[in-house]
Parts: sequence; C-alpha cells; structure tokens
Amino acid sequence: MIGYLARRLGGAVLVLFGLSLLLYGLFYLAPSDPAVLTCGKGCTPERLAEVRHAMGVDDPVFTQYRHFLEGIVAGRDYPAGPNTRHCPAPCLGYSFETDQPVTALLADRLPVSASLAFGAEVLSLVAGIGAGLLAGLRRYRWLDRVVNGLVLAGYAVPVFLVGLLLLLLFCVQLQWLPFPTYVPLTTDPLAWAQNLLLPWVALAVIQTAAYARLTRAGIQETLAEDHIRTARAYGLPESRIVRRRALRGALLPLVTLTAIDLAAIMTSAVLTETMFGLPGVGQLLVGAVNQIDLPVVVGVTLLTGLLIVIANAVADLLYAAVDPRVELR
Amino acid sequence: MRRALTLVLPSLLLLAACDGGGGGGTSATGAFDPATCQGGTLTVLNQGGITHLDPARLYTSGGGNIPSLLFRTLTTRNRQPGEAGAKPAPDLATDLGTPSDGAKTWTYRLRDDVFFEDGTPITSADVKYGIERSFAPELPGGAPYLRDWLQDAASYQGPYKQPEGIKAIETPDDRTIVFKLSKPEGDFPFLATATQFAPVPKAKDKGVGYEAHPISSGPYQVESYEPKKSLVLVRNTHWSSKSDTLRYACPDRIEVTAGLDAAVINQRLVSGAGQDANAATTDAPVGPEQLAQLGTGGPLDKQVARGEFPATYYLAFNTKKAPFDNQKVREALSYAVNRTSVVNALGGSTIVGSSTTFLPPQKALGYQPYDHFPAGDTGDPAKAKQVLAEAGVSNLTIELAHSNSDDSGYGPKVAAAVQEAFKQAGVTVKLTAIDDATYRDVTGKPATEPSASLQYWGADWPSGGPFLIPIFDGRQIITAGGNFNLAQYNDPQVNAEIDAINALTDQSTAQARWGALDTTIGKLALTIPLAHEKDVFLFGKNVKNAVPDGWRGTYDLARISVK
Amino acid sequence: MRALRRDRGFLVGAAIALLMILVAATAPLLAAAAGQDYTTYHDNLLDSARGGVPLGRLGGISGDHWLGLEPGTGRDLFARVVYGAQVSLGVAVGATILEVLIGLLVGTAAGLGGRWADGILTRLVDLVLALPILVIAISLLAIVPQDWPRPLLLATVIAVLGWGGTARITRGETLTLRTRDYVAAARLSGAGWFRIARREILPGLTAPVLTYAALLLPTNMVVEAGLSFLGVGVRPPTPSWGQMLSTATTWFRADPMYVIIPGGLLFLTLLSFVLVANGLRRALDPRQSEVLR
Repeated sequence: MIGYLARRLGGAVLVLFGLSLLLYGLFYLAPSDPAVLTCGKGCTPERLAEVRHAMGVDDPVFTQYRHFLEGIVAGRDYPAGPNTRHCPAPCLGYSFETDQPVTALLADRLPVSASLAFGAEVLSLVAGIGAGLLAGLRRYRWLDRVVNGLVLAGYAVPVFLVGLLLLLLFCVQLQWLPFPTYVPLTTDPLAWAQNLLLPWVALAVIQTAAYARLTRAGIQETLAEDHIRTARAYGLPESRIVRRRALRGALLPLVTLTAIDLAAIMTSAVLTETMFGLPGVGQLLVGAVNQIDLPVVVGVTLLTGLLIVIANAVADLLYAAVDPRVELR
Repeated sequence: MRRALTLVLPSLLLLAACDGGGGGGTSATGAFDPATCQGGTLTVLNQGGITHLDPARLYTSGGGNIPSLLFRTLTTRNRQPGEAGAKPAPDLATDLGTPSDGAKTWTYRLRDDVFFEDGTPITSADVKYGIERSFAPELPGGAPYLRDWLQDAASYQGPYKQPEGIKAIETPDDRTIVFKLSKPEGDFPFLATATQFAPVPKAKDKGVGYEAHPISSGPYQVESYEPKKSLVLVRNTHWSSKSDTLRYACPDRIEVTAGLDAAVINQRLVSGAGQDANAATTDAPVGPEQLAQLGTGGPLDKQVARGEFPATYYLAFNTKKAPFDNQKVREALSYAVNRTSVVNALGGSTIVGSSTTFLPPQKALGYQPYDHFPAGDTGDPAKAKQVLAEAGVSNLTIELAHSNSDDSGYGPKVAAAVQEAFKQAGVTVKLTAIDDATYRDVTGKPATEPSASLQYWGADWPSGGPFLIPIFDGRQIITAGGNFNLAQYNDPQVNAEIDAINALTDQSTAQARWGALDTTIGKLALTIPLAHEKDVFLFGKNVKNAVPDGWRGTYDLARISVK
Repeated sequence: MRALRRDRGFLVGAAIALLMILVAATAPLLAAAAGQDYTTYHDNLLDSARGGVPLGRLGGISGDHWLGLEPGTGRDLFARVVYGAQVSLGVAVGATILEVLIGLLVGTAAGLGGRWADGILTRLVDLVLALPILVIAISLLAIVPQDWPRPLLLATVIAVLGWGGTARITRGETLTLRTRDYVAAARLSGAGWFRIARREILPGLTAPVLTYAALLLPTNMVVEAGLSFLGVGVRPPTPSWGQMLSTATTWFRADPMYVIIPGGLLFLTLLSFVLVANGLRRALDPRQSEVLR
C-alpha cells in the first residue's frame, strides 16, 4: 500500500515536471516577449530592457526554469519597489499580467471550478442513475429506447452548444433565471445554486449519458447473475432484490468513476466557464493564454494535472476497497 | 467627403438634447441636477477587468474612466459632451498651468482644499513622488511621454533605486510644482490628466503591492479589489464636491464586475433585471443583437449613449520595402480599397465610419477633410489598375500582416476584406496572421516589420500632436522596437513643422496647423486610412445623465446617477 | 454483420456519416456547384447600420446563397459550412488514426514485452490518461508559432494527448491473446515478437480497437470544435464549425440561422458517428465496458 502510494506519487511528480518543462520550452521557442505587453504602448527599448530585467525574463531559459523549480521547493524573492516580495514555497511565481501570486490566484479560482464540478457531478449522478434504473429495470421497450436515444444525443452535443441554448432559452427568451454570476456558497447558498444551475445542467449532460448507460448495463447484467436468480427462487420480493443486490452490483463501478470524473469535470470546465463568464480556473487559463502569462499558464496546468493524478489514485484505492480481487501495483 | 462631418453633427445635437433630459429619465422630471443626484449603488459590468489599479501603471486610456473616480490629477478631462469635453480642465491645480520659457517650463499651483482619503493634505511633493514612481521598472505600463519630455529623465530608474528623484521637477513649496522640459510642449496640460500625475503619499507606498489599496484623492476609495475580477468603491469622506465641480459622484457605492462576455453584458443592460437596472459598462460597446433594436423608437433608444473616441483604423505601408517604396503603388492600392466591406467587418456603419483622412473627424485634433485618392464607397479597381499600369507594375503580389484576433480591430475579417478589394484591382494579397499579444512587438521593430500591416491608432488625448507625431515624425523611428512610424518616413520639413506646432499654447491655432499637416502628408499615401471609431454604449434603465464626453466618447461614471 | 444490417440506428447513422464525409471530401466541388466560394464578401447583401446582419429572411437564404450569409462579412454560408466540414472531420479523423497507431504500438509492446517494459509502458499510459487534455491543448496551441500548419497541428496535439485509451485496451487484449494456444504455438515454432504481433495478435485486436476508435472520432470532433470555439483552433479565413459557433454567440437573436446551421450540423454529424459507434459496439463486442469518456 505505502509502496503503491510512493510509486504513484513518483509518477505524478514526473508528469508535472515534464509538463512544466514542455510549457517552458515551447514558450521560449515562440517569438513572444511578455515584457512588451507589460511595458505598454510606446515603451522605449531602454525601458523595455529594464522591465524585462525586473520581470526576470532576461535570463536564459534554463536559468529561469531553475529559478522556477527552486521557487516551488524553497520559495523565491522578487523585487517589488521599496522592498522585496517573498513568495513562499510552493511558489509558482507572480502573474506577468496582474502581479498577483499564482498560488493565490489558483486558490481564489478553485472554489468556483469546484462548485461547478461538484454540482454537475451530483446532478449527473442523480439523473444518470435514475434514467439508467428506469431503463434497466422496467422492461418497457419504449422507455429503454427513449433513455438510450437521450444518452446517445447526450454524447453528441458539445457543452458550449448546450450552454448557448440554455442561455438563450432561460435568460433571454423566458427570463426565468438571471445571467449566471458567481456568488460564493458561503455568501448566499441559494444564490450560489440559482446562478450555477444552468452551467451545471450544461456540464452534466454528457456525464449523465455515460452514467445512465453504465447503470442500465450494470442492472441488466446483475439481474441475470446466479445469486439473483437464487434469491428469486427463494421467493424474495422483487423490490427487495433490486434494492439489496442488483443496485449494489450495478452502482459499485460508479463509485470509483465519481472521483475521476469530479477531477475531470473540474479541469474540463474551461468551455463552460468561458461560456457563462464564471471566474474559475478555466477562465483564468484562457485569459492568461491570450496575454502570454506564462506563470499562470504553467500554474493552471500543474494544478489540473495534480488534481487528476490525485483523483486517479483515489479511484484506484476505492476500487481496491470495494473489490477485494483487485491488487494494487 | 462631407459625410464624416455630417455624421458627427447630428450625434452631438442628440447628446445636447439628452443632457437636458438626463440619460434614461423622462424630460418631465426636469434638468439633471448634480446637487440632488446622490444615492444608490451603481453596478458596472465589464469585459476586461482593470489589470492594474496603480496610478503609475495605467495608460492614458487604461481602466476606462474608473481610475479617475479614485485619482485626482493636476488637470483632468473637462467631462462635457461634444467639443467642450475635448479640453483639459484644472483638477488638483488651480488652473491649466502657466507656461514660460517658450512652453519649456510649466508651473502649477495646487488647491488648498484637497486631501487624501486619510485626511492628510495633498502636497506638491506627493504629486512629484507619484510621477517618479512611474519611472520604476517594477511599475511599467504608463504612457511614455514624461521620459521623453522631462529634462534628463529618460534613464531615471524610479525612487526605489534613485531616491534623489527627478531634478526636472521642482517643488519650491507645498503648493507649487514646476516641470522643466527639454523642448516646448504646448500639450502639457493634456498630459497632466494622466494618472501618473496623481499624488502618492510616500509613506504609504508599498511598491508593487500599492495597487491592492491605492490611496485615493478622488470621490471614492477602494473597499476591495481583485484584478480582472472585481472592484468595489465606497465614498471617500475627505473628498468634497466644493473642491471638485467636475465629478458629480452621484452613487454612494460602485461595484465593478469584470470578466463577463460582451454579449451577456449588453443583454443584461437590456433586460435590466434587479440590480442590472442600475448598471453601466465602460468597455462593452453594443453588439449586433442590440443594434437591431436601436433607432426603431423602442425603449432601448432611451438607454444608449453615442459618442466618438478619436481613433483610426488604417493600413500601414513600410516604405523601406518594395513595392511600397514606389508611391504610385501605394496610390493605386488607396484607390482600390473597399471601405464598405472594411466597415462591415468592423461591426457596421453604426459603430464605425469610413475614413479617407488619417486624423479622425474631431475638430479638437484639427481634422480637415480630404480625399486624395477617391475610391468611392466600394473602391475604384479600374483607376487602381490604371495607376499601376502607369507605374509599370503588373502581376503584383503583396503581403499583408494582421492580428489573429478580430477583437483587435485589425484582425482576419478586415484583412480578408482588404484582400478581396485588392483582388478586384488584380493585386494578389498573401495574409500573414500574427498573434495578437505580440502584434505590436513584431510590427514595431523595423527589423521584423512586415511590408504592409493593419493598424489601429487612438488618441492619447484629443489633440493632433499625439495622433500624428509617433506616426510621421522621422525622429521617432525607433530601430530597437516600440516604433509606430511604420512608413519609416523622415522629412526634415515635416519634423520642423511638428516642433513649431508643439511650441504653440493656443489650441485653435495648433489645430489648424495639425489639420494642414495631415492633409499634406496624406498626399504621399504612406497609409491607407480605412475607418474611424464610433462608440455606442448602453446603460441600465435607471441610469441617468449617461452623456458621452468629447474626450473618450463614452459616458462618464463620475457624472451618472442611479438615484 | 447481419446484426448491423438490421440495426436501424446504425444504418441511419452510417448514412448521415457517409454523407458528411462525402460533403467534406467534395467541398470545393460543392461550393463551385453553388457558384460560391468561402472568401468573397457580399457587402451589398448586408444591413450595415444594424451591425452587418444579412438582409432578407432567414439570414439571407436565397437562390444564390443556399444557406444564407455570414453576418458581418456576407461570405457565403453554404461554402463556409462545407469547407468547415472538411476541417472538423479532417482533424478528427487524422487525430483518431494517429491515436490508434500510437495506441497499438505502445499497447502491443506492453502486452508482449517483458515485465519491465510492461511496467514502464503501463505507467506511461496511466500518465497520459491523467493529462488534462483540454487545458494542455489550449496552452500548447496558444504557445506554438502562428505559421505552423494549423489543422495538422490540431490533429497532432489531440492525438498526442489522447492515445492512452487505445493503448490500454490494446494491452489488455494482447495479454489475453498471448495466452491463447495458437500464439503459444507460434512462439514455440520460433517466431519473433514482431512477427507474432503482426500475424497473430493484430487480427485479434481489430474488433475491440475498431469499436473504440469509432467512439474516439466524435470525441475528437468535440475537442476540435471546443478548441476552435475558444479561438485556438484553425485560423481564419479557414472556416470551422466551432469557430462559427464562437462568433455566433454574439448573433443569436439578430441572426438565429447563424447559430442553427453550424450548430445543427455539428450535432447531426456527432450523433451519426455516435450511432455508428454504438452499432459497431453492439455487433462486434457486446460485452465491452463503457469506454467513451
């Protein structure tokens, strides 16, 4: 177990290291100079050189990358006018564009993405399992068909298309809901949910399809298994069989999926956040990319990579806990 | 030719009419009274947030007109609609400054009744310190003029490295501040409106961290600020309307939310649900959705402000590169351009107008109409072919650089429109897309400058000088980067005329000379002027007195009311 | 195969999918048949004062312009849509082929290699599966120089980040197949690993990999559309559906057809590919677990 975790951790560190190296490398391959943007219109060459030095982008790439790694391990000091700013470890640097510490930016944006992912996951679990059960248990062919059709359609709509249609319908045409603006959960839980409702639905569509399909397949499979048939032969009521046995067998695989999906949604919500103007990690990335804000780009990429690695490890552990036949290696 | 002028005039009349009625209110309620407009919370919905709230780091146009709610400067915009608004007005200073030594020395006297948000009186040393900070390489982003204009200041590194300060700024007493310039600058009162002229108390300076809570001298102070996300302003109790008649400061509280989509902002302003009825925007002009509803006599016509920020969209030639070293080729292409498709690509005739002059059609800049190479609305390919034949040029293929983003105003759509028009004249255009973030960098270095590129040029202040000098003054060709004289045009006679106009302190004389200079240079076809900006902004239905000023073209947050 | 022939969903999906592929392949011909191209501006057909919205009903649909015009420029929407199909499908197909190739290579190598090779490759696959695809793709595509060929780049980036699933499935199948008698027999007869992989393993992989690839295709299309929507996809004036939808967000009321046409086509195409994949899965590999993520 400990060995397993250590190996997992080692792999994760390696991935994140490689990712950051790749981004740094490509960034300096491209002929873009972040100091030009920072320095502003009409910046003279002398001034530009000073600004470049103040930003620390006049060093060779390898020096900059070494400083970056040192910052993560030990923290860094930055010139900041009358005195220096200390950026404590793990320091991901300061945004080129706004001069905020990247770690603070991430901490500020993560709750938005987490709210989005959490709600969407709950919604898709409820809707997906519900639809899957309906389709899997009752052997009405038409219901099965409808769910199946919806599931397929769910796969086929990109999230930004759903988002666009939802905004059109509920905010513009019917005006039932306000245009989403993020309200922190701690400020006003009701407003939080009300504002996030549309983004949740948009984001949940695909996941719902996947869960419905899984549940349906799982239910049908377990209902055909021997121990269920035995239970039936003993004359146990059907509802009890379903609740006690079939459901359990069908839902177990979902448990492990949930962890991975939560992380996956959180990191793939770029489109949803852009579409609805929610100040999450994804929106941060899109903005940073347009401003060649390397520290933020690297920071977001590392954070999302880390989240997914953690989620995968959690999923593996859960799977092992649920199914004793699985051996961690 | 007259078109541009006639377009401006009705809109100015309209503004004047609006002013009396008060933006969104009905005329029955009477004239807008700044004395009784106080109260309520103004919501500001913006696309891009303010990336820096530090007065040293804001460009002249940075942050919309939000910074001027916090920072008083030596002079400020006059905040009137139309032409009157294109003039500077005294702010912290008692007047527009006293020039001496042929406009090489400017002396200002501060008002006695001006205070920081903590009640400390504002002194001339605070203004001087604010300017010095803007020279620090840790605080980049401000306009470059002071480095150029002040005597021996170009290499000054800011007060952190060189605490001795700038010698060219003298503060003989607490109220007086004197600027010594290296050459005559009649436009100094315009420059003194920039946020670099806002006072900064040295004791409160935290360098890069100062912007988390910059010390206010204006009617509001910062309650909370998150770059690119949100800004909440509350009243500064040490500011008094008696010392500041230009800012009405009507709302008690101003909440700025940034990072929103332009379409969403405008939709919210139209719907006006809840707090959105008290909303305004400083950076989301109307989109096509709302244009369809405007001018139809519907309710939205009462929620719109139409102004004009002086700015020109144009095509720049690099005359150091063939074939644009040949004036005939430049002339031929000027005949070929189809301004209608350019205007459509930029959003249609309501938000841009076609231009044949480099100066945009504002009197303050010295605008004089001319059309040296008449192309009509849709181009004159026959004439273009004829001029090319005269020049002995055939089968011409040229390269045209543009930004990869249409939001910039010099993106793929405009480029394709130009490409199409030139094709009609038998000229093949190869388009080169350059990443928007590096566009100015690439085009601004003569070594990497493309032979032709699309550009946008806005006025740092409404005067001919900042509009023409960086583009046509031969001494402004900067080989190391940051160059705007893309034609790399250097005519000693033109340079001398620029110096002569700069020494003028009478604006109307200067305006006529700038206009004449533009007309003369225009004959060389160094650029192809394409279009000029118009600004159409919506506001919520409870918002009153949203009148665009003649300087920025948008309504002024310091003067609107939500009561 | 007979099952497929009776699967109505599959048949309808396959018909639409084939039609779309045909449209994409013959885009220049179709545009020429309509007498249009995707670059010409038609300013006389726009209402400039209203932001450049096409004149006439339904976004300017007419005998000349079968699907109307692009607002703001007046470019022919039919021509742009068929060329857009080329980009959408081209990138998706290219990325899928690349993913399958990389996945097969790594998967069989892991399945047939020794304990060490398998351990390292499996770890690698895990890592690739753990990458936040959209996030990295955005960062990469924004950073690379503008003049690199865009569709090729898109396909490569999507493939390089997305081959993990194919590799995992291939490895699993290979591990099962190598225990089969005929593989053991081939090994005893002294055949090399490469030969075994080619002759004995690869045929057995066809069904599961094909099923998986059929699902990858629409997934990759969604990714391409998303990247174009965010502005890091193909560069204008090259049209793509995602890019059109991105500009359409500002036009949804003034010109609804500009949302409906590319949006509808994208949905229809994706749905048809999902139907095909679904049919294939049921016919070839009924017990395979959920793979589309």
